[in-house]
Amino acid sequence: MSVFIKHYRPCGLVSGFNNKIWRYNSTTADVATSKNEEDEEFRVLDILKKRDRQQRRVARRADVQPDRADRMAVDQNWGNVWPGPKSFHPSSVPLPLRQGYVPRGQAPPGKKANAELMKIPNFLHLTPPVIKAQCEALKPFCTEWPKLLNSEEAIEKHYPVEIISSDYCHASPSIRNPLARIVTLRIKLSTLNLDKHAKDKFIRLVGDRYDRETDLVTITADRCPVKKQNLDYVNYLLTACYHESWNVEEWEKDKTEDDMEYYDWDKNASKKSLVNWYLRTKNENRELTDEEYVAFDISEIPNGEEYKNAVSNYLNDGESEVTVKNYAKSVRKLLGLPEAKVVT
Amino acid sequence: MNNSLIKIAQPLLSIQGQLASWSAVTSQIHTSAALCRVVSGKYRITKKRDRPLTYEMANPPHYIAHRKTWNSWNTSNLKDGLRRSETAVEDEFIRRFMTGTWHGLMCSEVIIKRQFNHIRVAAIVRRAVSPTKMYFLLGYTEELLANWLQCPVTLELQTVDSFQDVVFKYI
Repeated sequence: MSVFIKHYRPCGLVSGFNNKIWRYNSTTADVATSKNEEDEEFRVLDILKKRDRQQRRVARRADVQPDRADRMAVDQNWGNVWPGPKSFHPSSVPLPLRQGYVPRGQAPPGKKANAELMKIPNFLHLTPPVIKAQCEALKPFCTEWPKLLNSEEAIEKHYPVEIISSDYCHASPSIRNPLARIVTLRIKLSTLNLDKHAKDKFIRLVGDRYDRETDLVTITADRCPVKKQNLDYVNYLLTACYHESWNVEEWEKDKTEDDMEYYDWDKNASKKSLVNWYLRTKNENRELTDEEYVAFDISEIPNGEEYKNAVSNYLNDGESEVTVKNYAKSVRKLLGLPEAKVVT
Repeated sequence: MNNSLIKIAQPLLSIQGQLASWSAVTSQIHTSAALCRVVSGKYRITKKRDRPLTYEMANPPHYIAHRKTWNSWNTSNLKDGLRRSETAVEDEFIRRFMTGTWHGLMCSEVIIKRQFNHIRVAAIVRRAVSPTKMYFLLGYTEELLANWLQCPVTLELQTVDSFQDVVFKYI
């Protein structure tokens, strides 16, 4: 590339030569001329800007190490590379991971400089071989499970009291969680050593903490600030209720038939009339006391047991089609009447 | 919701007639229009389409949990979580401290993960300063944050050559 430059020298006046100098200038010769003739300074029109176009070479930094993942052996122990929970780091994970949403047809962003991969919690420290090794390490500290406690029933039989409490794991400088203080005690009522009176009293004492369907007594305590205190408190409550239910107060003897919470056939007029009727059918005219009526063995009356159950169910469970029909059937059997004819 | 608050507050006022407490109440009510849904976390397209966006910036907030994840991972965000406000304020403080300490070096959002009392701070930084300085900043940040928050703090950094490496697209 060459260019014609018209150059006018003002100093020509001084030198006496009053003629204009025409020079043929080329870019190839430009370097040499500028070197030799330093006094001859003039601007060069560099149309294509060749000098600026020369790219600055990006220096490879010597202090940046190559990826660790590239130099990893295939049979290395991964547990040593990633021993604990850590954010994802692309240079230490030799996996070709990609993460991110991109439009159809594009590849998701790679693992390097990918913040999404750093955000999600990873389980690279909990690979199956590592878990296995940790379990092996913990084994010496474990004791064997008792052989006799091999079923749920056996556990329930030997350990009837069940204590339920929760521990909480959360991200906070404090490990305390107020919800951890709540303690629940559960026990089957049938496992407690209670007689009829004590059981009745126990159920009245615990109130709605007793579930009739599952036979479970559930006592929950959350009034103390610490779990240990609440645990002591539920144990105290159970003990207190148990011993209180065995106590018989003086006023409890005043309980009459009207105060009964359920229908007790043995103590009621129904048994008296049944016994009287039975004795009369056998032509025995005996006068029985109240205690004798209660103690009278019902099983010697034919179909008496069935009648007893029918009457008790009718009065305890309430009047319904089933109980009424049952009652009718048992009365017919008791009196030796024929079965009711079903009219179709 | 603000209106209902005022409605509740007014009869109380008329009964008690405490103007001083009323002014205290009004100063706490936030009445600016909710622009957040429309504007916040979104970037406008430039004429020349030369605004660089990272993956995080390219996805607006309603894509959280769909295309991108949260920047803070802790149990305070969950239902019935403890220390909600404290955690939020501490996270904001950590973010500001990190951007200020690693000035001009941060190429991504600061990701804060909490496990028990351990705070793990992850970020992508530029390799613009010497490794010696970087190591100093690392120890300095961990030490100061641990002292302020009274928790062990771990910095988990990833370095890139330049901001160009984290650019996802230009708009």
